[in-house]
Amino acid sequence: MIKHRFLLATASVALAAACSPSSDAPTDTVDVATPPAQQVLTVYSSRHYDSDQLMYKAFEDITGAKVEVRESKADQLLETMKAEGDNSPADIVIAADAGSLWKFQDAGLTQPITDDGISALIPANYQQSEGHWFGVARRVRGVVYDPTRWEASDVTAWSDLTDTSKEGEICVRSSSNIYNLSLMGEQIFRNDSGNAGEWAKSIVSNMARNPQGGDTDQIRAVAAGECSIAIVNHYYWVRLASSASEADQVAASAVNFIVPSFEDGRGAHVNITGAAVTSTSDAPELATQFIAYLLTDEGQNYLTMETKELPITETAALPEGVEALPEFTASPTPLEVFGKNQAEAQRLYDLAGWN
Amino acid sequence: MTTAIMTTWRESRSYIIPAVVISIVALPVIFAVWFGVTAGGTSTWDHIVQNRLLPYTLTTLFVLLLTAVIIILIAVPAAWLVSAFEFPGRRFYEWGLILPLAMPGYVMAYAWANFAGTSGPVQSSLRDATGWSARDYWFPDIYSAPGLAFILGTTLFPYVYITARAAFTTQSLATLEVARSLGANGASLFIRVAVPAARPAIIGGLSLALMEAAADYGAADFLGIQTLGVGIVRAWSSFGEPATAARLALTLIMIAFLFLICARVLQGKQGSQLTTARWLTPTRSKLTTANAFAASAFCASVIAVAFFIPVGRLVWLFLETGPGRSSIWPPLQSSVLLGLAGAIAAFLCGLTYVLATRHSAILKSASRLAASAGYAAPGVVLGLGALLMLKTTGFALTGTIALILLIWVYASRFTSAGLEPLQSALGRAPKTLDFATRSLGTTGIRRLLKVDLPVIAPGILAASLILFVEAIKELPATLMLRPFGWDTLAVRAHAYATDERLAEATLPSLLIVLAGLGPVLLLSWRLSKSARTQS
Repeated sequence: MIKHRFLLATASVALAAACSPSSDAPTDTVDVATPPAQQVLTVYSSRHYDSDQLMYKAFEDITGAKVEVRESKADQLLETMKAEGDNSPADIVIAADAGSLWKFQDAGLTQPITDDGISALIPANYQQSEGHWFGVARRVRGVVYDPTRWEASDVTAWSDLTDTSKEGEICVRSSSNIYNLSLMGEQIFRNDSGNAGEWAKSIVSNMARNPQGGDTDQIRAVAAGECSIAIVNHYYWVRLASSASEADQVAASAVNFIVPSFEDGRGAHVNITGAAVTSTSDAPELATQFIAYLLTDEGQNYLTMETKELPITETAALPEGVEALPEFTASPTPLEVFGKNQAEAQRLYDLAGWN
Repeated sequence: MTTAIMTTWRESRSYIIPAVVISIVALPVIFAVWFGVTAGGTSTWDHIVQNRLLPYTLTTLFVLLLTAVIIILIAVPAAWLVSAFEFPGRRFYEWGLILPLAMPGYVMAYAWANFAGTSGPVQSSLRDATGWSARDYWFPDIYSAPGLAFILGTTLFPYVYITARAAFTTQSLATLEVARSLGANGASLFIRVAVPAARPAIIGGLSLALMEAAADYGAADFLGIQTLGVGIVRAWSSFGEPATAARLALTLIMIAFLFLICARVLQGKQGSQLTTARWLTPTRSKLTTANAFAASAFCASVIAVAFFIPVGRLVWLFLETGPGRSSIWPPLQSSVLLGLAGAIAAFLCGLTYVLATRHSAILKSASRLAASAGYAAPGVVLGLGALLMLKTTGFALTGTIALILLIWVYASRFTSAGLEPLQSALGRAPKTLDFATRSLGTTGIRRLLKVDLPVIAPGILAASLILFVEAIKELPATLMLRPFGWDTLAVRAHAYATDERLAEATLPSLLIVLAGLGPVLLLSWRLSKSARTQS
């Protein structure tokens, strides 16, 4: 019986491998008989956009290297890499949110890259000080509000959301979401744990409903009148406005987007999508070249055209639809603190009863 | 001498083989549990024990309890109606009620949340018609624990429907006739005779469905309900502590075992061996017009809620926005191939269990325990366990190794789902057959081919189809272990849905349903056919 099981299992694996859509791609077993091996860049990415495929293809065309991609949630990529240890095939990690990138660094899975050309293109606080990771696109966490209920001046600071006048008015997603964790990470950095915890408690008492859904759902809830204020990343609002669905466009136009600053007037909570070269990479030069490509105008275009994130370099053009965002001043906080404060952020949210 | 050695070998072989298969199935769980138990307590664990453990556990138990109630209220009456009565549409409902088996819980959650949520078409039209704002009226909230129970109940009720219907259609004619002659009819026949007689089957199906519900992550996560499954992932991803995640998983596995023990107790001495072969379907009685209409409406609304409305909503969203740019063909291919490989592996493990453990109570309990542990463990925990196995052995998660590991996890996760149909098929064979086979000295491969396989043939089809559909729907372990180029439909749908691009998630979601639909229809057809040949 057991023998049969293995035979069949092996046969099915072989069958599966033979029919695999990617069976023509180079595998990790190196065939010594083949002439000079094509360089392979293995990308672990938490993004899954069709435009990324175009980006990888363009990089292949430029360098002649082969790009292989594993897409998964950042946390799962992290655990996969931990388990793979020294055997990990990953050369590059791309993850949304500095908090995610910090986790890779903290686990010793990234290596410092010194490249003045790259560093010069990215604002200093959007790259890790030793070169463990680099921001390649920006996103800003903001607020949408119902203009029939509030003025922009009612929500210019994050602390404005704690006002008792907003009781039963706020919609926001679950606290385990990385965007909320990083927002809390910055709150802790600026206002210490005690005040940050109080902020979370006040938000919870102002909630219109239990945290649910994603950012887009919060915008829709404001449009439907279930709440009048929601905490969301900018690109969800931009995407809704440029959606093919008429109902989405109507929802987006029913709300206003604003970028609150921290109460000391030191700017908005900006986060990044970033890239890191892994500590186990056997092609760090190619990986560095890839990061440099992401910072070209073409790379920036591919990165932001579908996501509606903001480019990180000064020269790249804004993606369509983003021009509708209001002006804002970014906070100078080094994004490393988001990761360092992450566990504390989740603890404070749990204590505040923010599901 | 040689004969003696051969006999000893034969006897020990009947223990060794199932013992090895038990280890294969249990290993990923054991690794995850071992990891949880051996890792020292951390401040995170203290925090979770103090603040989250009780809410997680209570929420989980509440959701499971409500799910059980919903399942029983839908599945048992529906199964009784289609097997005991004749009414318009009965032949369609008979197989149509199995359709939701093709819907993964997470897809159901995407569709219903979009359809019945605040900004969905139902509430939008309500507001348009009345001029109300979303705060002017009460509407059932799908993003709630009862909402999750609704999603899980409507997705998982076919497990009980199938087992209950099989029990009702094969209930001894004599039993029902005796009951009728004693004056039982209609409701009292159903409640006092048919349901108690079908109790082992109903509880068997229910324990399967509840283990499935307990392992859910996708739907609870999407709806934002703080179940243990969600807590495990949060401990792992937010706190970055796999050990804490594994510890929480222990709680979940214990709950699942509790179900298993309850099921055993409630089922009582299962398999009262019938001495006659009068497994005859009672003649279906005609219903009065009003009752026939009510029966038809009940079945129709169940199918609508559990299948046509969510599928219709997804089709609508898909047509509204059109397909994405990337080709759907590769993930479809990956899903089918991995589904096949997973089903074969799980099936062979299940078959070994059922056949090799018949005569040993210890092996039987051990195998059930191993299979149940795998089934009750969320895919994310099995994935974690599998990765730890790799690390211990020093392999890299690449290429063929990753494929084998993923198929291994499928086997570990789903063997239990295949056991039930096989065991009930075997249970139907009269004990005398076993005595006869043994007294004739038929053993080994010969016995397998000539006696055992033909006996359990009806169960084989059911088991393999259930396994295939389960493997195609599997999400978290596939997400963690799949090698390059092996994105399945589930992975693709999840990636889009969690990225709040439901429109793009519709095509892979619909294809999962479609891929599952073929086997489900075949299963329905076979069940109907076997019911007819028996009557």
